[in-house]
This record gives sequence, structure tokens and C-alpha cells, in this order.
Amino acid sequence: MKITLKGFAENVLFMANAFIIFLLVFGHRISVPYWLQPLGRMHPMVLHFPIVILLLAMLLEFFRFKDAYAKEKLYHDFTSWLLLSGTLFSAVTVIMGLFLSKEEAYSGSTLQWHKWTGVSIVLITTLIYYCRNSAWYKLPLARAGAVLTIFFVILAGHYGAALTHGDNFVLEPVSTPVEKASVPLEQAKIFEDVVMPIFSQKCLSCHNIEKAKGNLIMDNAGSILKGGKTGKLFVPGKPGLSLLLERIHLPLDEKKHMPPRGKSQLSEKEMELLKLWIKSNAEMKKKVMDLPANDSLRLLATAFLAPANAPEEKFGFAAADEGTVKKLNNNYRNIYPLAKESPALAVNIYNKSIYKPSVLKELSEVKKQIVSLNLSGMPLGDEDLKIIAGFENLRKLNLNFTNINGTGLKYLTALEHLNALSLSGTRVNYNLVKQVVNMNGLKQLTLWNTGLTEAEVSQLQKTNKNLTVIAGFKDDGKHPVKLNKPRLNTDVTVFKDAITLQLKHLINGVKIRYTTDGTEPDSLKSPIYNREIVLSGNTTVKARAYKAGWYGSDLLSANFYKSTYKPDSISFLLPANDKYRAGGAKVLIDNQLGDYDFNLGKWIAFRENNMEAMLYFKRPVTIQSVTLHAMKQIQPYIFPPTEVEIWGGTDKDKLHLLGRVRPDIPEKMEERELIKIEAKFKSQHISCLKIVAKNLKKLPEWHPAKGQPAWLFVDEIFLN
Amino acid sequence: MEKDILEHGLNFNRRRFLSRLSLGLGSVALGSLLMPDLFSGSIDESDILAGLPDFAPKAKRVIYLFQNGAPSQLESFDYKPKLREMMGQELPASIRAGQRLTGMTANQASFPLVGSYYDFKQYGQSRAWISDLFPHTAKVVDDICIIKSMFTEAINHDPALTFFQTGAQQGNRPSMGAWLSYGLGSENKNLPAFTVLLSRGKGNGQGVYSKLWTNGFLDSTHQGVHFSSGEDPVLYLKDPEGLNRFERRKMLDKLAEMNDMSYKEFGDPEINAKVQQYEMAYRMQTAVPEITDLSKEPDDIIKLYGSDCLVPGTFAANCLLARKLSENGVRFVQLYHQGWDQHGNLPSEMASQAKDVDQASAALITDLKQRGLLDETLVIWGGEFGRTNYSQGKMTKDNYGRDHHPRCFSIWMAGGGVKPGIVHGESDDFGYNIIKDPVHVHDFQATVLHQLGLNHEKLIFKHLGRRYRLTDVSGKVINDILI
Repeated sequence: MKITLKGFAENVLFMANAFIIFLLVFGHRISVPYWLQPLGRMHPMVLHFPIVILLLAMLLEFFRFKDAYAKEKLYHDFTSWLLLSGTLFSAVTVIMGLFLSKEEAYSGSTLQWHKWTGVSIVLITTLIYYCRNSAWYKLPLARAGAVLTIFFVILAGHYGAALTHGDNFVLEPVSTPVEKASVPLEQAKIFEDVVMPIFSQKCLSCHNIEKAKGNLIMDNAGSILKGGKTGKLFVPGKPGLSLLLERIHLPLDEKKHMPPRGKSQLSEKEMELLKLWIKSNAEMKKKVMDLPANDSLRLLATAFLAPANAPEEKFGFAAADEGTVKKLNNNYRNIYPLAKESPALAVNIYNKSIYKPSVLKELSEVKKQIVSLNLSGMPLGDEDLKIIAGFENLRKLNLNFTNINGTGLKYLTALEHLNALSLSGTRVNYNLVKQVVNMNGLKQLTLWNTGLTEAEVSQLQKTNKNLTVIAGFKDDGKHPVKLNKPRLNTDVTVFKDAITLQLKHLINGVKIRYTTDGTEPDSLKSPIYNREIVLSGNTTVKARAYKAGWYGSDLLSANFYKSTYKPDSISFLLPANDKYRAGGAKVLIDNQLGDYDFNLGKWIAFRENNMEAMLYFKRPVTIQSVTLHAMKQIQPYIFPPTEVEIWGGTDKDKLHLLGRVRPDIPEKMEERELIKIEAKFKSQHISCLKIVAKNLKKLPEWHPAKGQPAWLFVDEIFLN
Repeated sequence: MEKDILEHGLNFNRRRFLSRLSLGLGSVALGSLLMPDLFSGSIDESDILAGLPDFAPKAKRVIYLFQNGAPSQLESFDYKPKLREMMGQELPASIRAGQRLTGMTANQASFPLVGSYYDFKQYGQSRAWISDLFPHTAKVVDDICIIKSMFTEAINHDPALTFFQTGAQQGNRPSMGAWLSYGLGSENKNLPAFTVLLSRGKGNGQGVYSKLWTNGFLDSTHQGVHFSSGEDPVLYLKDPEGLNRFERRKMLDKLAEMNDMSYKEFGDPEINAKVQQYEMAYRMQTAVPEITDLSKEPDDIIKLYGSDCLVPGTFAANCLLARKLSENGVRFVQLYHQGWDQHGNLPSEMASQAKDVDQASAALITDLKQRGLLDETLVIWGGEFGRTNYSQGKMTKDNYGRDHHPRCFSIWMAGGGVKPGIVHGESDDFGYNIIKDPVHVHDFQATVLHQLGLNHEKLIFKHLGRRYRLTDVSGKVINDILI
């Protein structure tokens, strides 16, 4: 007998069918030897061949009796071969599949459906193959057979895919996820809302009723308590004896580690939660809030229940026209989308000097899209809120420090999406605010620095539990703070005829009291500063700031000097000390005083020499006093001059002595001080003046540097 | 002269020729061979130039209260009773594990552990431990998120500071504020998107340099603008004598016209940047005086921040100014408070430093909250690294110092979509190593960008042939601390 290839193939097909039936009947009694397991595992790979070949063969079978093809030999031979190889392939695939199903990972109804549809394909196609040449096999039968096979191929494919990839694999990206309603913390149960979600996320994909790996099913409390093949999952109250905890804590490389490598692992927090839950007797009914306030399990569970990263809000409206947004955007009205491709717009308005209601009105073109509007500080009136009420999708509205008084708040109740409203710094009152408190979506309301009292704010808070009313910081007056010093508007302290001073303070309502006679100002009797102070002679101004509820400020003290005449030139006859020459002799007539920092270039110093200065006037002047402004700082050897002589006349070669003063020389360590040394004399007509100031040649006995010469520091000369 | 004109013309032609060439089909084909991802569209730079977040942001603005000099975590937020117990004992080698030391303590013969001079207490619902030096911060503990597991790579101030600000230890990269300005643009076109405020405490200080707020290789419009203390925080903003606003406008218009001509000729984008800066300065002439005017602040605000806030140049004044700038749409307000480098005299210096910043930092949180702004403003408080658990130099009962410690330190964040009232991360009993949830500086930066709606891996700028990010090549968003 000649063995043809086709005949051989047909025989194999017959045997394969017989083997399949054997496996189906005695399957539960046999176990697959380990060396055959790889064959089984090739099932998901091989199955694609029969699907394609059979689909093609059935297509050809469907049209087989069509006139055009009925007599084509090639058509029939090809179809026959195709059907034979497809059937053979599907038989092999089914055998592999049956091997695979013996491994422990698979069970459940999906598997049964897959198994029986797969087997049906082999049986049906084998039947078709053997009968298709019989006389009674006509068009209707051929078509019915083809359609039935295709139907089963699709069905088997579908169940197979569901086994490998899980349910709803294909449609998952487009189907809307079932929103897990978040449980309010007060009602959350430890097992149901904390422990179970961990199991569902991390364990259930294998330990479900379908797969039930290790005979463990974790989808309900009962079967979790029952445990699996290896035993119970845990002993309540004894985390140390828990199989569950052991498995999840094994190193990742360990074969028995759960969840297996490659699956999503438990986070540290989740492991800790499970441990604490088992430790607290694996309670099934208790609520989280039933636990003591600082119980670790409660704290962890609370954190676990806190809403995870809130998903981005989706907006149900279309984006505004880009051109419109661009047109409305300007330097003082900033409009921008929340993010790339987001239809929602945020709007900020700036510059109160150019604000007018039309700034808002024009926004009506994008009223659907505005979700956030910031009008902080704008001179906005209550009527303007009517315009805002038209921004139907508004979520967040900032009206801080606007001019509204609240009569327009009623318009805002139309905004059903509004969740944050800021009214801080406005003149709203309790009754008017009450209108918005009951708005459904409102979650946050700020009322700091408004007319509402604390009691009123807490009253509002009580009316709506879902709303957070923020009252902000209000000083209770129990901890007064010291005011800071008032400030002078000028740093010029030397003037010619008169000087006008202004005192400033940054805090509203501060009273500044001052004196000009050198006495300390007090909070009761001293004159209150008002607009300005005019000085016309040498004066010491002392001032303090006062305000009810505050401590008075530190003392501001400033000296002002009159210097009526300014010489046209000045020069020294003896050089000043090298270190402190400043800008030369003219520094002494520049109307600028120095402070205690003698390095700053305002001071000129003499040590080896006396100061001898010549002052010239182009036009003669009449003077009657000369004042030196000098420094006294005992520690660094800076002493007043021992004697000052004033010489004057109209001819520089014929000067005569006009006056002489001998300042007091300190007799002990004294506080540092800026001093005036004034020489007065009879009114004189002069055009030249010589000033001689003698420095102390030997420091006194009590000084640490006794015997050394003292320093003489001068920064200005006043002529009156 | 004629030669110059000719040269310029030739240059122009050469440039045109080259740019044409680069658009040629051949170069495109070659380019795609050399750079396989040329057409993959993975990074579309035009997206970034749009100046919009990648996704809807939680925070719109940042106020970064940088504590320059590195405040000790062990006297502020990381409570370590064990250090008190083991006072004076040697730091176990197993804990130090060969960690490098600075030149200042490397030669120290012993490393005696030293516990906090100040006591700690637990506060708020979060029961977080805070030292007695920060009583005001303790009051807002339920509004802040303390991260006790920060670590950095640098061990000296300047590189560490630069690392925090620019993502690299060497200078020349753009600062975080510049990246945000680049990525998001300004909310208020009348103010710069990135401003800087400096203050200084009495403690041992370390310098801050303008390189910390540089735009780096980004367009110079993104540079931080330093507001100085005093009545005139922005220099040269007043009209010069004899020039009124109208004439200034005319001058600027003419200048812009001329600049435009030169832009058309040379195509240098910096010319446009300059025009924009002139324009902004013009608008700032109105906006800035309004913001720096503290006279409209209610008394409660002064009491909230402390009366220091009326003294220009103090941290408190800067906090108040920061709030005003932020409220007016400045994306990134960067404060630096100097003086936290307590190598010695820690107990007394730290107390004075804490006194400078505690009330105003807490006040800023309260103030933003009562204006409904805290949820959209991210406030950050922290230094460039931490301090060692052992004493630097001689240790007595009430005096000691601490050296630099990059391995573990604490910062806090508040608002802007960060979970309030939580503590993230943990250090060991010695406060030396992190044992839970470490946060690298790049993770921190990635998180800040994320809160502002920016993907730190997408916020890039191509410069000198490579793409740069604030987070360089690493960084993971710390999801655990986000709402």
C-alpha cells in the first residue's frame, strides 16, 4: 500500500481526536509529567496557527459551491489541504492546552468555556473534513459548518485571551472605570475598607475563585480565614506565626515570596498595616474610628484612607477660541489655560488704577471656560458680581480686599461649581455671607479681616459641615508689640535758614509725639506731630510713636544745625593725619555730618598737629558765632580740643582774635558723643577766618594710653 | 568702514547659506540616521515654549524660605533623645560608615555625640516633634509637611546651595526659579516671574551670590530679580529728574523700534529679551511701589509677622514682601536668610537665628491661608544640608558646634498640594543615616516642578549639544507627600 502524505496526515488526525477524547474522559486521573510541561506551555504560542488557517479554510469552504469555483480543481485541492492542516494544528493545540490546564494555576469557569469551545473546534472541523465530499454535503450544510466553526474559533480565542490577560483586557482603556466611592473616614471599617483593598489589589489576580492558586481564595472574609493548601494565613493576634506575613516578607528572590516576582509588590506601609491588623486580632467588623486615637493601626489606616492623588479634574466644556483668548489677554488681564490642552482658563486681573467693570464684562466671551478668577485688591463693586455670576463653570473666586460689601453675594449662588471663595478684607457682614454658606459645592470660604466676629464665623461653620470657614489671625491684644521708631524724611541735618521736617510711620493710626527742647517725649503731654516741623535754629528733635494696643516705640533723636554762611574756600595750614583726610578740608563745609564710624570719609582727624583752617569769603559776611562739630570717644583716644581760637578780619594778613573757648576735657571714661563747640563773639564783618583747634597733647593719667597724644576728629564747621 | 559693511554682508550671506543648507532634504535624511529619535517626536520643544504646565497644577506659585548655612536638624525637627543619653560618647564607626568629613573636623581626634540643648515637644494632630526654638512653627504644624529624610551630594556650602538651586554643584545652570519662569511664564506681566530677597541673621554666615538666581543658559528674561531692602527695593525704577512718564514712554517706543531693526539684522534673541525687560521695567514703575508699600497692611498683619516686618531687610519684612509679591502673581519668590552655619556656639546662635525666622515663617503660612491662597502656593523652608550629630570642637554642657552633614537633614513644605500635617521619612536613632523614604535633592526638585504642573523630565533646554534639566538625569516625584 502506498502511503501518501495526505493519508498519513489523516491518520494522525484520527489518532489525535482519539487522544483528545481520552484526555477529556480520564483527564482528572492523570498528571502531566514535568518534561511534558514545556509542551503544554507552548499552547499560547501555537494556537495562532490554527486560528488563521481555519478561518481561511472556512472562508473558502463557504464559497465552495459558487459556480465560478465549483469546477476549479486547484480551489478544491487547496481548500482540502488547508482544512486538513488547520484541523491537525487545532488538535495539537488542544492537546497542548489540556496539558497546560493540568498545571495548578488554572481553574474556574473561563477555563471550562475555553476548553470546551476549543475541543468543539477540533471535533467540528474533523467532522467537516471527513464528510465534505459526501453526496449529501451541499451548500447549506457547508455554509452552516463554516459559520459555526468561525463562531467557535472567535469564542475560544476570546476565552483564551481572558485567561491570559484578564477580563475586559481589550476594552479596559476605553471603558470608564467604576469609580470606587471613597468611604468617609468615620464609617470606614478596618477589614472591609483597608485590609481587603490591599488583598484585592495585590493578591486577588491569582488567588481568585477562577485561578485559586495554592487553593487559596482571597475574595471574601470566610475563605481568607480558611487559608489555602499550606495552611491558615494567620493566627489572630500573633503576627509572628503568620504564613501570610512570612510569605510577603521573604526576600524577593525566594521562590515562595508573595506576590511573585514580576507582580506588583506590597508597599512597606501595606505590609505594616497587615501586621498591625493581625496583631490586633484580625478584627473583621471594627471601624477605624473605634480604635484609640493614637493607635498605630488607626493612624496608618487613616493615612491609607486619605484620598490618593486626586485625579485631574475633567471639564465638560469645549475650549475657547484661541484668538479670543489672545485678544482678551493684556498686561493687566492675564488669561491662561490651566494646562496644555485644558479647556479651562484662569484669569488674574491686576492694576486697580485701570480697573473698570468692562474689564470683567469683556470676559463674557469666555464665560464658559473661566474656572478661576482672581480680583484681589480691585475696586470692584457688588453689581460686578452679577457679571461674575455668568461665569458658570467658576471653581475659585478671589475677592480679597475688593470694595464689595456683600449685597451682591446673592448672585454668586448661581455658580454651582464654585468651591473656593475668598472674601478676606472686604466689608461683608454675617447676614449677607449667610447666603453663600449653603451653596452646595462650596468647600472653602475665607473671611479674615471682615466685619464678622469670631462667634459669627463659628456659627457659619456650624451651618455647613462640608465647608471650611477660615477666620484667620486676629490679634487678641494680650501680647502688645513694640512699635518701631518713626522715620525722618530727610538725612540732611545742616541747613541755611530753616528746615522743614516730616516724620513718617508705616502703621496706620500711629501718633507721633516729639520735642524740640532736648527733653524726652512722652505719651501724654508732648506735642503730637502733624504734617511737618519747621526748625530755624540748632535743634535736637526727639520723637516716639504711640498707638493704643502697642508699646511705644524707641526714641528717635536727631540734631539739626544751622549754618547760615558757607565760605567760598577752605584750606588747612597744617596737614591732617594721613589716615583720616577724607576728601580734604572742604568736607568740613559740605553740610553733611558723620556718625560714630570715623572711617566713613566724613571725618578729618588731627593728632600730630593742631587743626588750623583758613576760610575765605569772596564777599564779606557778618558773623557772630563759629561752631565746630567734633567727636568724643574716649576708648579710641578721641578727645575734644583743649582750646579753640577764632581769628578773623577782612585782610588775611591782619587777623585778630575774635573769640576763644576751652571745652571741658573728660576726667573719666565717658559715653561716646558727638559734640558742638561754639565760640560766640560780637558781630563782625569779615572775609577771612582762621580757626585753630588745639588737640590734647597728652592723654590723662587715668586713660589706658596715658601720655600719648589724643586724636581730634572734626566733621563740620557752622558759621552763623 | 566700507570693509566692515562688506564683511557684515558676507557674514549675512554665509549665515543664510548655512541655514538654507541645514533645511535641505539631504541634511534631514542624514540627521535622522545620526539621531534615530529625530522624528520620534518624544520631546517637542515647541510645547515647552508655550509656557504652560503639562497638566493642571496644584500650586501656581512658590515661596522658598532658604535657610542659608544649613540649620541643624537636631535642634529643630529631628528629635533624637538617644543623643542626649549618649552625650559625650564616641560616634560608633558602624554608624559613620566611612562617611567623608569636611576639612574642619577631619582631623578631630574624637567625635563625641551631642544631644540637643533644646527640648522637643509634640504638637498638633500630627504629633510631630518640634524643638522649643520654633514655637510659632509648632502652632502651624498641622499645615506643614516635615521631611526628615533629605540628603544631598555636596558637603560644602556653595556647591550644596548651588545644587539645591540649580540641580548641579557647579554654577552656570539655570536656577529653579528661572526654570519655572521658563516653563510657566509669568502670571502678572507687570512683575518679574522670579524675585529674590536677602536677609541676614546674627549667626555665623555664608555668602550668597547672584549666580544662585541666574538664568544660566536660558533667556535672560528668566533671571531672578533681586529686590534690595529699603524704601527703593528695585534700583533705577524711579523716573530720572526732568523726565516724565510720557516722555519715558516715547523714549522706550523709539528704542524698541531701533532694537527691532537690529534684531531683524542680527537675529539675536537677546535683543528681544532686552526690549521685553525695558517694557517690564516700565510697568514695574507702577506695580512695585504698590507692593512694597506696607502702610496699607492691617495691624493684625504686623502683629502676625512680628514688628520686625516693618524694618526693611529683615527676614520678617521679606516674608511679608514675599507674600505680597506672590499674591500678585510672582511665580517664584526666593528668600535667603544667612547665618545658620553653627560650627560653634550652636545653642546661642541657633536661638537667635530661630528667633529671626520662626514667627515670620509661620505667619506666612497663616497669612496665605486666611487669604485662601495656601492651597495654590507652595512654601518651602530648609537649608542646603544638615549638621553632624557629634560636636565640632570643644563640647561643654551648654556649648558645642556641629559640622556639615549631607547624609540626612530636615526641611518642611506647606500648601501647594502637599499633604498637611504629616512627617515623611525617618532617620536612625543617631540622626545620622536615613532609614526610611530617602529624598534626594533631585527628588525634591522633581516634586516642586510636579506641583506646578511640570514634568521634570520634559522641562528641558538644549544647550551646547545636550539637553539639560533641573533634575539632571535623575529625580523621582515624592508621591507620598502629595494630596
